[in-house]
Amino acid sequence: MATGLLRRAFTGISSSPAPTAARYVLLRAFASEPQTDAAVPTARDTSKLKTFSIYRWSPDNPTKPELKEYKIDLKECGPMVLDALIKIKNEMDPSLTFRRSCREGICGSCAMNIDGCNGLACLTKIESAGSATTITPLPHMFVIKDLVVDMTNFYNQYKSIEPWLKRKTPAEEPGKEILQTKKDRAKLDGMYECILCACCSTSCPSYWWNPESYLGPAALLHANRWIVDSRDEYTEERLDAINDEYKLYRCHTILNCARACPKGLNPGKQIQHIKQLQLAGANA
Amino acid sequence: MGASSGPRLSGMQRQVLSLYRGFLRAARLKSAEDRHKIESLVSNEFRHNANNVDRKNFLYIEYLVRRGRKQLDQLKSPDTVGLSALNMGPSSSICSAG
Repeated sequence: MATGLLRRAFTGISSSPAPTAARYVLLRAFASEPQTDAAVPTARDTSKLKTFSIYRWSPDNPTKPELKEYKIDLKECGPMVLDALIKIKNEMDPSLTFRRSCREGICGSCAMNIDGCNGLACLTKIESAGSATTITPLPHMFVIKDLVVDMTNFYNQYKSIEPWLKRKTPAEEPGKEILQTKKDRAKLDGMYECILCACCSTSCPSYWWNPESYLGPAALLHANRWIVDSRDEYTEERLDAINDEYKLYRCHTILNCARACPKGLNPGKQIQHIKQLQLAGANA
Repeated sequence: MGASSGPRLSGMQRQVLSLYRGFLRAARLKSAEDRHKIESLVSNEFRHNANNVDRKNFLYIEYLVRRGRKQLDQLKSPDTVGLSALNMGPSSSICSAG
């Protein structure tokens, strides 16, 4: 708008040969226009309120858990669910408890159930439509407080598959890296990116019904990552360790895990691969 | 209080009792003065919860049992010398780090 005014001012000057004093007066008149932008509407005038229904339960006040509602103005908040949670904690209710760290989808701390789907709060955009967003902790996990769940069983299952390199023969060049072709390294793609957020395991109904005995998609994805690693020499032992009715074969290819993974991985596919290897091992 | 320590104990009551037994057994493996401190703290905590927590509040009892099991695992390690508790006061005030 201001540029339009200035353009008009300049055309006025070039067409009419006005004296220099009048030209300066003309410029000064237009120069003061842009400072009085009273009619321009700001983004703060209207507000877009969105309701968040958040699961609350505290061990200090051990009543039944409840869904508490909070209203947030989306114009004053970042786009992601984590931004809304932090805003609620800062301004409205400091007792809201949740895990978070990197705010960029790489640490896996903020995994929770948003509107029925598991995902990372820092990567899930707030749906700006009218209806309320329901935020609950990861399903079928014991709750420590509000949105924080007990992950020890999940981590113990990851530990149980021995997620480190195991060799029988020493390395060719001691002190240097064990070499691997590009093709062999490409086999690890789709598995090394896992951030252990537990979104997949807690979306699997089979894991809900047998959390202690079934390893879950995340642990099995990592088991496959070590089985398929060309540098690891304990492949057979790893396959035998999980070749169990409960540890591996509780998977019925429900494939909720692939749908839930916030990093776009497919644990179901890796579990299929393990099952195929088991079959090949049994036949050979 | 209605403690039914007769013949029929419910599953949850058995869990609580076995947890208590676990604590006492772990305390036995420590030195004499540590053992006394641990035993007094544990029995106070269990008695306090037995008096104050409603029998029907399964959610909270399960939470306490889970927490107790984790603390017992830590206590079992030979490096742990004892337990201590820190009371931060009401969680409603902002400065008490909620």
